Amino acid sequence: MILDLHTHSDASEDSRAPVETYMKWLVRKRDLLPIDGIVLTEHRQWNPAADYRPLEDKYGLLILRGAEVETDYGHVLVYGVNDDMTRRFDFTNVRLSAQELIPAVAHMGGLAVPCHPGRPTIGLCEHYEHKPPIDGVVAVEALNGGSRRGENERVQHLIDHYGYHAVGGSDSHLVSFIGICATEFDADIRSIEDLVNTLQQGGYRPLDFRDRLKKDV
Amino acid sequence: MALDFDRSIIGSEFDRTVFAPVTKEAIEDYIAASGEPAANDMAAPPTFVVRLRGHRWMPENMPNLGRTGFDAGKDIAFGVPVRIGDVLTAVSTVHDIYEKTGRTGSMAFVVLRTVVTNQRDDEVAVIDQKMMFR
Amino acid sequence: MSGRFEDVDVGHDLHTLALTLSGEQVKNYAVAARMPGGRFMSEEEARKEGLPGQIVPGNMSLALFSRLIAESFPGATLKKLSATFRGLVHPGRSFLVHGVVTEKHRTDHGDLVECDLVLESTEGDRWVTGTATVQFPPQE
Repeated sequence: MILDLHTHSDASEDSRAPVETYMKWLVRKRDLLPIDGIVLTEHRQWNPAADYRPLEDKYGLLILRGAEVETDYGHVLVYGVNDDMTRRFDFTNVRLSAQELIPAVAHMGGLAVPCHPGRPTIGLCEHYEHKPPIDGVVAVEALNGGSRRGENERVQHLIDHYGYHAVGGSDSHLVSFIGICATEFDADIRSIEDLVNTLQQGGYRPLDFRDRLKKDV
Repeated sequence: MALDFDRSIIGSEFDRTVFAPVTKEAIEDYIAASGEPAANDMAAPPTFVVRLRGHRWMPENMPNLGRTGFDAGKDIAFGVPVRIGDVLTAVSTVHDIYEKTGRTGSMAFVVLRTVVTNQRDDEVAVIDQKMMFR
Repeated sequence: MSGRFEDVDVGHDLHTLALTLSGEQVKNYAVAARMPGGRFMSEEEARKEGLPGQIVPGNMSLALFSRLIAESFPGATLKKLSATFRGLVHPGRSFLVHGVVTEKHRTDHGDLVECDLVLESTEGDRWVTGTATVQFPPQE
């Protein structure tokens, strides 16, 4: 099963991609992008009322939800967001404590995954150069579709040294970038609970579809 | 330090400017410099509206958000085209202020909304300009 | 590309612009667009502002997006244009401006096509990304 674990819809202030248009695009591009679903990880927010089940039914794709929050060790994807988490942590705060957030999210039934770790300032690699490692990190985003040359490559050292699992995601903010990087799971994922459990256990790997989409210009 | 400012600034009008009539020369100069063709029926190119500079580009009571400002992006909805002789009015408000972190560190963003109308009160454009400060 | 709504399909690539702007072209645009910042005028003025060199105004990237739409869909009308400026664009460096159709729909306001737009270096670094909504004229 292949999921894009890092996507932004027009609910994020810097995205222009409606969720339904993402779905139409994935159905149309199925031969190049064999994506079974996405996780919406909007910037610095959580809307408990958002419900994409009608779109799931209409397009036959899984739509799960998480959040991308900002910490003193860079940006972090939070899966399994619940009321306990949003009461404890203000998702609009761009200075959350990663040492506090990541273990607390796990304790509250979710999982927090540092994203684009190789990116300057907002990625884990740079912070690990002069700060202690964070307790409770299980996986990092080894493949990010929005990263610049060299940024994804920096992450391998982190994975080798700390034994982190690796995921992939597009970090899409435009319709045509959905699914360009993703994660392949051995297990079947049907819910956010399935996703959190599987991310904790292993049996997944990042996938890169960007070469399939390259055009001659 | 977290952003600290008087939130009543959001939604407040800070500039209202009526511009001199649009000239043929201004349109031709813009086309020549931008490479953007005239819109249909010899109207100004769509992005001609970004050259409208009001008396104030920021509110007087703007919080101090950083030393350097950059244009971070725009969203423009286009209405009727701009034609030679049009007298345009631009009304600007602060639409939003927020903070985020990126490759260059912590940044404050200000979204300024400018509504442009012509002498017939037809809407010409709504421009949301995102300014980044650090 | 075509001026007919019926000929446009989701997934179609727009026309591609391959460009290298000179410092003089950038300065001329800044003057025509009434943008007085030294950063757009010369290498020296830009460095005084703490920048690595002269930069292309974001508005000029917007104009390039608009030009791409006009060349790709002759006779159509640009209704919305957005751009996010993700990195500095400098004169003297080659770049590509391209896009793709992501949606088309018939509405009460006309036949509309949505596009994703990208301005990127020839090595694939995306400096500006955006979207456009284009309205096609009714067919006779």
